[in-house]
Amino acid sequence: MAVERRAPTHWHVIRSIARRELGIASRRKLVRLLFLFSALPPLVMGVILVVRVMAERATGADLGWDPVLRFLFIQSMPVALLALGLGTPLVARDRSEDVLYLYAVRPVMPWHYTLGKLLAVALPTFGLLMVPGFLIAVLRQGVMPDKVGTGESVVLVAKVALSALFMAAGYAGVSVGPSAATKRARWALLIAAFFFVIPDNVIRAIWGMDAYAVGPAEAVQALLGALFGDAGLLRGVLAAGVLSLYAGVGAMITMRAVRREMIP
Amino acid sequence: MNGAWIELEGLNLHRGGRPVLQGISASLGGRAVGLVGANGAGKSTLIGALLGVLRARSGRVRVLGLDLPARAMEVRARAGVMAEQAGIFPGGSGVDAVVFAGMLSGLSRREALRRAHRALDALDVGEERYRATRGYSTGMRQRTKLAMSLVHDPEILILDEPTVGLDPPGRIQLLNLIRDLRDEGRRILISTHILHDAEYLCDELLLLEGGAVAYYGSVTGILGPESAVLVAEGSGLDVALAARLTASGVRAEAGGDGRMTIKPASDADLLAFWRVVAETGAEVRHLSREVPTLEDAVVGVMEKTGGR
Repeated sequence: MAVERRAPTHWHVIRSIARRELGIASRRKLVRLLFLFSALPPLVMGVILVVRVMAERATGADLGWDPVLRFLFIQSMPVALLALGLGTPLVARDRSEDVLYLYAVRPVMPWHYTLGKLLAVALPTFGLLMVPGFLIAVLRQGVMPDKVGTGESVVLVAKVALSALFMAAGYAGVSVGPSAATKRARWALLIAAFFFVIPDNVIRAIWGMDAYAVGPAEAVQALLGALFGDAGLLRGVLAAGVLSLYAGVGAMITMRAVRREMIP
Repeated sequence: MNGAWIELEGLNLHRGGRPVLQGISASLGGRAVGLVGANGAGKSTLIGALLGVLRARSGRVRVLGLDLPARAMEVRARAGVMAEQAGIFPGGSGVDAVVFAGMLSGLSRREALRRAHRALDALDVGEERYRATRGYSTGMRQRTKLAMSLVHDPEILILDEPTVGLDPPGRIQLLNLIRDLRDEGRRILISTHILHDAEYLCDELLLLEGGAVAYYGSVTGILGPESAVLVAEGSGLDVALAARLTASGVRAEAGGDGRMTIKPASDADLLAFWRVVAETGAEVRHLSREVPTLEDAVVGVMEKTGGR
């Protein structure tokens, strides 16, 4: 006989949606390949650090070059591809299969759905920058104990976490938003790719190479440059704002589409 | 809850500025309630209101004693819904979809997996459960959808056209499964066009026409004695006799092939029939009672209400 059941918690519903999407994504070859590809930069970084230390010891000279920023730049590229691969089919697939009503008749609210889908992109995206970033911090301190202290490693991890957070939010918004705007994942991919490529090129064509970042990929580079290089605080703050904007607009588009289509 | 698990009081609901449900009042407590009516009568809209997906302009909706839409989340957690217009959660196998449905209703993944297999076993879904749902037949899709609605062991089941698109053996099998669920003690609301399905499963009926209630009550009520039809066969059962019977207040119609249809409203009508037959010398060799089907009764009610 049936038991009297309470409505699940908000977090349970959001987590269930994100978990299912991650499960489905993990079975796709392209996604697996991108995961593997994103593991390469930390390995290369490790080799570079070891070679650098050996070279410094052999020559006695300070090479004065820290590859962390370069590593993070490179790492953000496969992460962007992964976000596109993960995010663009998410809502388009549900819309084309007409299953949004299945969520509406269960204890799921539009914002649960939206947050669940965004998290399905943001969690792996965050992890793919955060985990290697943490490994790099440990590696640096292990390989160069005389140059890198614990405090510096903690600061490095905090900076990576901050940039990974904004990057994950922005990439999730820019891939899930287009997915909610169309019923075809291919169109969603094209729209998302447009935002990655076109806005920055247009801005550069108008204001030159020094223009502020307006696309998500450039915004991530600018944020990393501000946190780990000498790009300046203003560029960093603006880049964080741009990424937050992509996250917010993507969430709003998704909420709107879901609200409209959850009702038969 | 007073026995009734669905209570509607003066429910008015508009969609796109147009009234879809008008003054719906009913108190339904049957084990299986049939929601019937023509296309556009408001059946799906009413289901939307019962789950708090659609908001009423005025009136009151209560399901399991809970007011809607204020307590929609609780109602949805306690209800299992098999929606006609929506398919199966895409992107995985049948068992994946059922597990996900369970998790959305509050089950942990482990518990949802255990119950999903139990539900799919009960619905005779074998190894196909591990295949991608994209290639499922209509019958397999309907079973998987039913499993999705059952996985969290809901108190009530809301089934929207559960047998649509199924071949006759598949339909009978699914009807039997639903009947078993009803007999287990689960309360069921079935929206259907197929009145035979409603007759087979339901003990209560809500007939909608043009967004208003045309009938609500027991199925036996709509198939009441006033709807009984007698068919007499013999000689002398002609138009003249039918006219005399009609003059005596008995509704009768001559078939022209030695058959006459009589619709007695009471036992007195039946006595009047025999009296007139004796007076005219007609001979009745066979008299049988034609039990009307739910379809006849529903069509009769709809004719009476005149299509609003």
